[in-house]
Amino acid sequence: MALLEVTGLRTQFFTRDGVVKAVDGVSFELEQGKTLAIVGESGSGKSVTALSLMRLIQEPQGRVVEGGVNLGGQDVLKMSDTAIRAMRGNRIAMIFQDPMTSLNPVFRVGYQIGEALRVHKGMNRKRAFDRAVEMLDLVGIPNAAHRAKDYPHQFSGGMRQRAMIAMALACDPDILIADEPTTALDVTIQAQILELMVELQQREGTAIIMITHDLGVVADMANDVMVMYGGKQVEYGVADDVFYRPLHPYTWGLLDSLPRHDISAKGELCPIKGQPPSLIDIPSGCAFHPRCPYAKEICRTTVPALVEIEPGHSSACHFSGDPAFRRDQVACSADMEAN
Amino acid sequence: MSELLRVENLVKHFAVDQGVVASHLGKKVHAVDGVSFSVNKGETLGLVGESGCGKSTTGRCIIRLLEPSAGSITFDGTDVRSLRGKALQSFRRDVQFIFQDPYASLNPRMTIGEIVSEPMVVHRIGTPATRRTRAKELLDVVGLNPEHINRYPHEFSGGQRQRIGIARALALNPRLLICDEPVSALDVSIQAQVINLLDELQDRFELTYVFIAHDLSVVRHISDRVAVMYLGKIVEVGGWLGLYDQPHHPYTQSLLSAVPVPDPDKQRSRERIILEGDVPSPIDPPTGCRFHTRCPIAQDICTATEPELREVADGHEAACHFAKPFPITAEAPAAVAGEGAVAG
Ligand SMILES: Nc1ncnc2c1ncn2[C@@H]1O[C@H](COP(=O)(O)OP(=O)(O)OP(=O)(O)O)[C@@H](O)[C@H]1O
Ligand SMILES: Nc1ncnc2c1ncn2[C@@H]1O[C@H](COP(=O)(O)OP(=O)(O)O)[C@@H](O)[C@H]1O
Ligand code: SF4
Ligand code: SF4
Ligand SMILES: [Mg+2]
Ligand SMILES: [Mg+2]
Repeated sequence: MALLEVTGLRTQFFTRDGVVKAVDGVSFELEQGKTLAIVGESGSGKSVTALSLMRLIQEPQGRVVEGGVNLGGQDVLKMSDTAIRAMRGNRIAMIFQDPMTSLNPVFRVGYQIGEALRVHKGMNRKRAFDRAVEMLDLVGIPNAAHRAKDYPHQFSGGMRQRAMIAMALACDPDILIADEPTTALDVTIQAQILELMVELQQREGTAIIMITHDLGVVADMANDVMVMYGGKQVEYGVADDVFYRPLHPYTWGLLDSLPRHDISAKGELCPIKGQPPSLIDIPSGCAFHPRCPYAKEICRTTVPALVEIEPGHSSACHFSGDPAFRRDQVACSADMEAN
Repeated sequence: MSELLRVENLVKHFAVDQGVVASHLGKKVHAVDGVSFSVNKGETLGLVGESGCGKSTTGRCIIRLLEPSAGSITFDGTDVRSLRGKALQSFRRDVQFIFQDPYASLNPRMTIGEIVSEPMVVHRIGTPATRRTRAKELLDVVGLNPEHINRYPHEFSGGQRQRIGIARALALNPRLLICDEPVSALDVSIQAQVINLLDELQDRFELTYVFIAHDLSVVRHISDRVAVMYLGKIVEVGGWLGLYDQPHHPYTQSLLSAVPVPDPDKQRSRERIILEGDVPSPIDPPTGCRFHTRCPIAQDICTATEPELREVADGHEAACHFAKPFPITAEAPAAVAGEGAVAG
């Protein structure tokens, strides 16, 4: 059995302007020691998916309206508040794009990392601090015993990200959810952080959910990939299948939009026309139809279901099952329309 | 090809005056420290490097948003720093700037028509009626609906706002555009739209670009030549193909090897150079070669003697005592992800 099993997750926000269908039917599995990447453009529902798993959606404005989150035989969505607090940070930990959302500016870094250990593992102050120093050392903070006494603002961006990883991993969680952990960092620092995550994963067997909009990071880290568009899961499969045999026109569009420096010739960029939908007013039928060069009448009227097209590889497009339905380079009209 | 812009030994230091550690008082931030390059008419020069290396400061000095501490800037044969009166006015028409943040750079209380016309108002060009016609024309040029001329910026998406900024920059028929991270805030699909737009406008209006960005793939795509900066200096400069396929400077090599590419097989087999530590502070930059604190092949000479830019291949210069090519494997697009839709 998978470590984590998410089925039909639906999360909505009830705002003045209407209901935001932020996550609209998402299902996936995560095995121990594996990495699942959730990829999509901003506003596609990636972060809300993660927050839902952690039961961090603020009620009553937001609510998980449907679905199951099975963690080792228990439904997270039905756990008591006490059980949830025991789970968070302990069995599932999360790191964010901006480390300052997890680090408190008024406490010393070592003290903050130790806090989770005091709460979840019942360690005393001294032991928790020593363990915090060990963790800082593990994530590559030089002179950790000394730096543990610093405040977060005395750390550089990369060091804060490391400190947050140290904090997330202190209790040895089964699952680490990383929401755009390197988006704000320079590439050389990103490379350090990604390598660190892989190293820790190999040592501790942690499962990782990597949320990112960077397909390079996905290719680097992921065993499995879930592509999201407009709050829905449009493609799901192992990384090689999704990169080498992508099924969904949105995935095609993403891959064709990327400038590549690993290919000698300078290719044409084929942008996807238009822009992502508002999740208050999702287009009828297939949410991608206003931007999709392959859209037919049925796309406007009928929501395509996520269907397994080949073993372990699914797509939510009416035509993915048709062997004649192929990625067409001519569809790239490089048109300038922005509306 | 004739030269349009020449920057020589540009230096910009900022005084450290507030909010920092006491020991830094009276010291200077060496934001840009002796940068030289030239850009030919119709060409795109990419300026790439990590946060804080001095890219934006260089751009701002060129358009006289900042006063350089030293060095010279020549635009179309005239010394920019000495421009006054009419000549300065004409320079301000010829050289325009596009900002990174499509949200912050547009006045929320102005309609997009007013925003796009503003440069014409400032330079007293045309009548309200002709300016309006021109504004509509510009919106059309950048792929926006001219009918939306009376709408406000908040009614547009990030990519559309970036188009509005581009339309404004084009209003006075400029010759040189300094684009400072124009696509960094945009999602990939929208980023590709704006890159293609900039490409097309360049051909159509014979524009010259200085394109500043930290994304190496984007810079390679749009540039003819690329300059790599580290801590206020250019460490390597060359044609896009040579620089990316045969980088000679250890910093360029590590940068390129650090960018993950969207191809799982390549990621698995890639030789990676992981640099240790952070970029040092520009307040006390390292002696000799500024990269020596992180360079995987640094020798004693590197701490003592600063390497000059020297030619390593045709039109390709690197500033390293031990510069040598390090081919970063790139191949023909045969292996590009997903030719067909379905396994076959
Ligand atoms: N007005 C200022 N006063 C003091 N220091 C400054 C000022 N403007 C820039 N700096 C410093 O100069 C250096 C170069 O800054 P610059 O903005 O040119 O970097 P950049 O390469 O554009 O970086 P980024 O990729 O983050 O935009 C940095 O160390 C920065 O902190
Ligand atoms: N607290 C909230 N209240 C209302 N809408 C929200 C809230 N949080 C997120 N949303 C909306 O949910 C959608 C998905 O957001 P998110 O998951 O953050 O996207 P991303 O894929 O960029 O992480 C967006 O339309 C966003 O505006
Ligand atoms: S269902 Fe229709 S609109 Fe949606 S991706 Fe497939 S072809 Fe395009
Ligand atoms: S000069 Fe020395 S320190 Fe600088 S890049 Fe070359 S080898 Fe490295
Ligand atoms: Mg997010
Ligand atoms: Mg900048």
